[in-house]
Amino acid sequence: MDSVRVDTPRRPPPTRPELIPLKVLVAGGFGAGKTTFVGAVSEIPPLTTEQHMTSLSVGIDDTAAVPDKTTTTVAMDFGRITVDEQLILYLFGTPGQSRFWFMWDELARGAVGAVVLVDLRRVDDCFPAIDYFEDRGLPLVVAANAFPGTEVFGDRAVRDALALPDGCPLVRMDAREPRSCMDALVALVEHALARSLG
Amino acid sequence: MTPDQRGHVDRVVPVYAFTRGRTRAAGQELPLEAVVTATGLALTSGASLQMESRAIVEMCARPKSLAEVGAALRVPVGVARVLVGDLANSGYLEVHLPRTADGDGGPGHEILGRLLDGLRSR
Repeated sequence: MDSVRVDTPRRPPPTRPELIPLKVLVAGGFGAGKTTFVGAVSEIPPLTTEQHMTSLSVGIDDTAAVPDKTTTTVAMDFGRITVDEQLILYLFGTPGQSRFWFMWDELARGAVGAVVLVDLRRVDDCFPAIDYFEDRGLPLVVAANAFPGTEVFGDRAVRDALALPDGCPLVRMDAREPRSCMDALVALVEHALARSLG
Repeated sequence: MTPDQRGHVDRVVPVYAFTRGRTRAAGQELPLEAVVTATGLALTSGASLQMESRAIVEMCARPKSLAEVGAALRVPVGVARVLVGDLANSGYLEVHLPRTADGDGGPGHEILGRLLDGLRSR
């Protein structure tokens, strides 16, 4: 039986439990799969947030003719996972270029941790991200994304090549697969939880 | 990457005009993941707000992060931060900040445990 609906003249705001936002950073070199990862697990189509940056041009942007301050726009992909009635997890794909790292301090503050995506054919690209998060004591997992030909590298060889400390989880995954990305996130949160209890 | 390369329409009014030239909100520096929701005041008097502000309180009928607000309005985060900060200060928006275990640290183990349970059950 349907319940009787009583119309009230003015709807009061719905009472909600206090919302708690959380964030995870998805880092890695150019083309390592950050955008793919965010898109695979986000419940909304990935959005792009932009930050205007004023920085000293040192010729990187081919603006050598104008050697003063330049304004650049740094774009970041992000997505959302509503975890429960209170927790909302945001995933931010962090700009990989080292010259934008001053942004990472703001991003890293209060983060659950970071998933560092690695293309094993180009491991050098991920060293800066790993170093950054380790230096700041932010929990991280290294996620070796399945690119063609990377399955031949064993875990031991990968850990050695990346000089990963024993405590840092290494997961093999495929950023195109939502299940695989979620497993990498779970590995990160397990690691962060263990560290918070330790 | 410039806005043009991203295929955005050119704005007639520069984005900082919305904030009357200010680049900082009156209140605290909101982090990108800060979530905002429309308050009862927004439901009753939101219609009287300027267009950009009205758009924000309308989209925040459901919880939105600062980053989502900026993306929806196609303005840089700094602009969204000022607009959202003003709307919060005048009572139209409620701000939900991250809870950190200690100062700049990450969330505490209770929240991490719930996050883990939530992700595992998906």
